[in-house]
Amino acid sequence: MMLNGAEDEEKWLAEGIAGIQHNAFYMHQALDSNNLREALKYSALMLSELRTSKLSPHKYYELYMRAFDELRKLEMFFKDESKHGVSVVDLYELVQHAGNILPRLYLLCTVGSVYIKSKEAPAKEVLKDLVEMCRGVQHPIRGLFLRSYLAQISRDKLPDIGSEFEGDAETVMDAVEFVLQNFTEMNKLWVRLQHQGPGTVREKREKERNELRDLVGKNLHVLSQIEGVDLEMYKETVLPRIVEQVVNCKDDLAQYYLMDCIIQVFPDEYHLQTLETLLGACPQLQPTVDIKTVLSRLMDRLSNYAASSPDVLPEFLQVEAFAKLSKAIGKVIEAQIDMPAVGAITLYVSLLTFTLRVHPDRLDYVDQVLGACDKKLSTIPKLGDSRATKQVVALLSAPLEKYNDIVTALRLSNYPRVMDHLDNGTNKVMAMVIIQSIMKNSSCISTPDKVEVLFELLKGLIKDMDGADVDELDEEDFKEEQNSVARLIHMLYNDEPEEMLKIICTVRKHTMAGGPKRLPYTVPSLVFSALRLVRRLQGQEGDIVGEEVPATPKKIFQLLTQIIESLSIVPAPELALRLYLQCAEAANDCDLEHVAYDFFTQAFVLYEEEIADSKSQVTAIHLIIGTLQRMSVFGVENRDTLTHKATGYSARLLKKPDQCRAVYACSHLFWVDDQDGLKDGERVLLCLKRALRIANAAQQMANVARGSSGPVTLFVEILNKYLYFFEKGNPQITSAAIQDLIELIKTEMQSDSATPDTASDAFLASMLRYIQFQKQKGGVMGEKFESIKL
Amino acid sequence: MASRRRMLLKVIILGDSGVGKTSLMNQYVNRKFSNQYKATIGADFLTKEVQFEDRLFTLQIWDTAGQERFQSLGVAFYRGADCCVLVYDVNVMKSFDNLNNWREEFLIQAAPSDPENFPFVVLGNKVDVDGGNSRVVSEKKAKAWCASKGNIPYFETSAKEGFNVDAAFECIAKNALKNEPEEEMGAKPAAMDFPYLSS
Repeated sequence: MMLNGAEDEEKWLAEGIAGIQHNAFYMHQALDSNNLREALKYSALMLSELRTSKLSPHKYYELYMRAFDELRKLEMFFKDESKHGVSVVDLYELVQHAGNILPRLYLLCTVGSVYIKSKEAPAKEVLKDLVEMCRGVQHPIRGLFLRSYLAQISRDKLPDIGSEFEGDAETVMDAVEFVLQNFTEMNKLWVRLQHQGPGTVREKREKERNELRDLVGKNLHVLSQIEGVDLEMYKETVLPRIVEQVVNCKDDLAQYYLMDCIIQVFPDEYHLQTLETLLGACPQLQPTVDIKTVLSRLMDRLSNYAASSPDVLPEFLQVEAFAKLSKAIGKVIEAQIDMPAVGAITLYVSLLTFTLRVHPDRLDYVDQVLGACDKKLSTIPKLGDSRATKQVVALLSAPLEKYNDIVTALRLSNYPRVMDHLDNGTNKVMAMVIIQSIMKNSSCISTPDKVEVLFELLKGLIKDMDGADVDELDEEDFKEEQNSVARLIHMLYNDEPEEMLKIICTVRKHTMAGGPKRLPYTVPSLVFSALRLVRRLQGQEGDIVGEEVPATPKKIFQLLTQIIESLSIVPAPELALRLYLQCAEAANDCDLEHVAYDFFTQAFVLYEEEIADSKSQVTAIHLIIGTLQRMSVFGVENRDTLTHKATGYSARLLKKPDQCRAVYACSHLFWVDDQDGLKDGERVLLCLKRALRIANAAQQMANVARGSSGPVTLFVEILNKYLYFFEKGNPQITSAAIQDLIELIKTEMQSDSATPDTASDAFLASMLRYIQFQKQKGGVMGEKFESIKL
Repeated sequence: MASRRRMLLKVIILGDSGVGKTSLMNQYVNRKFSNQYKATIGADFLTKEVQFEDRLFTLQIWDTAGQERFQSLGVAFYRGADCCVLVYDVNVMKSFDNLNNWREEFLIQAAPSDPENFPFVVLGNKVDVDGGNSRVVSEKKAKAWCASKGNIPYFETSAKEGFNVDAAFECIAKNALKNEPEEEMGAKPAAMDFPYLSS
């Protein structure tokens, strides 16, 4: 009856355990009464439970462990000859009478362990005997566990150097031979399991084999723990023998696992010195073996080793590890035509990691790896696999992380080529990684050439890519990307004005291709970067002699005009207007009247022709007034023209309150505190009176429209201006006028139709307090304020 | 029978890959140390005779694979353990963070009858590295964790220099001895229900 399923298996296991416990009980009794005969009988019966074929390796292991623990007790009994009176030599013969082969061999191994320990015979002889005898069990699972038992009990009895079981000469070789033989036999059993039973249970077989693999692999662990296996012996005997077995078994599961084992259990130094053998095995493995994982793990191990201490690096150089690995990878990729892109790229990532750790100074190696990857990627029509894409990003990120400096990466000629293989979306992600790296490390990119290369790398962010679906753009992402580009522009810097100007021109060339969506982000950065250069030159102007001076403020201002003009395609008149005004201020500081005038003209043209929205107009007019007020470069004529324009715009604003505020702000254009000759009190008063008229008109309009008077805010604000100019000593502003205005405001506030406005109340109260304060303070100012009667 | 059983003490060493489990065992049993990293596959044990309270014991020390992919047969060997040694590398935070996982995994898999009082010992290994300058887990932090798990004894060790290794294993042996052996369920044979004796 064939029973499958976990439940049945549990039942078989429980029965097996019960069988072991049952016989173990009688075995214990026999041991307690020093009855060798009974002990042998019941231990053999107990071990018979291991003859089952019904259990999966996992369950069989549980059963095996039960028997294993019991055998330790038996072993102790065997050891103590005083208890049973039989010499170990005789005992070794005696147990061979057990009827069944499996119990017999377990008992033989157990006595063998005691035999070696007793040193009655050379370890070598006993081990040789045991490993030969175990051939008697050819059932794969039972055979594997039996041999694993042999491996375990002999583990500390190998004739290793320095061991108490070391023989006369060449005994390490005996130990190695023993383990290798056991390994070979186990591997054969393990591989054979694959070919048992019908093809339909292949999957089940593979699962079982995977569970069993550590039994085979453990032999390699034992080999690695033998102290006598020095590099010489490993290189000449151990590795070639293992590799021979691995290659010849022609089983992909075994090959993959055992290659992994070799890499993990033997030390790094050995791998470095035997790279040829190890790498030479790779092309000989079955085509279905996942060599890329094997090689990746080898390189990861070696990378960690290289990182562990600088002292080991000469070893890597001595054996030309990079060249060997690089060649092996090339061969594997070439041979495995069906290897998916992700596999090949993963290999290159491992090789790159290795290179960066072992040869951080060899940029040519790094570039070589990138070049090889580019070559491979060029054979793939489109990189559609997201895992492959991820690996490419890892490949490109590795040098950035290593060098913490984009400038180094910019020297890698193959870097942009690899990046070009990414799809548009990922290309942008990578570009962001690059920018973030620059920001994090505050890397300064200081030559036009490097800027050129950098912008070529970042082109996914700088301009629309072919085939990019604009509709799919995420607004938020786009904003973040462009803000990053804007920040990046400030990291491009050179102390030399000439070089800096070239950088600005390069950035301009690239950003101008960005189209209407990007320009509003990039143009301001570029403008301020150029203005920074202007500010640097502004002090030196007088010192520079000679004709050939390309980096002059004048020239930069020309460039700035063109840059700002580019915003017209957006269009972004408000932004352009702000930037023109910034430029005007800079020109002012450079003492360039015509240039400054031109910028104002540009701003005014925009105001008149492009800025139609009334709110924007208000903002713009105040910016214009503010900037104009600070200008000192203009002669009377130019200044009058511009001031005239500005006051004209102010009076023509759509809403009365806006008009009023702009007009009283204009008063400052005629009174610049720190400048002689610009204290035109009359025109200040004209502005304020005009503002009052407009405020009055606004009040009346509100009356007509809503039947109540509008807020007195405007009057209060104008009063503030009166006080300002009064204090500044404008003779046109009299205390009487101020008194009248205060009266007017108070009357308005008390009128029935007044709309209560706490802000205005507070503002007024604060001004009145100020007047009182000045009066009390006395002095010249106090006297002046004294004339205001409240 | 009880006296015979107590001659063997079973100890399991657990911990992340590369923390020095094999090295600690080799240092204690063979007085040998190698700087080379060699992964362990499956489970492997060495024995050592120890004299304790005038009696001789055999300490069976199980070294295990820290890498999961080299533990393909599962952990049936946990069964019957008398003490579990949890090892971490004082220079690697993650190896310390994982102690909890190792402890819980052990309790689940070994299923001792009294998990609350099952003896554990924690070893913070590699204290020699870089003169202690690369250390990231403080003794205080480790001790606090041990205290929170029922006052687990804690030792700082260096398998490389043999520092504290004997002291740690002496404590391990002492705690293993304190562990009450599990009752062997059904050890006493019932009536013969099924035919074992078919050999």
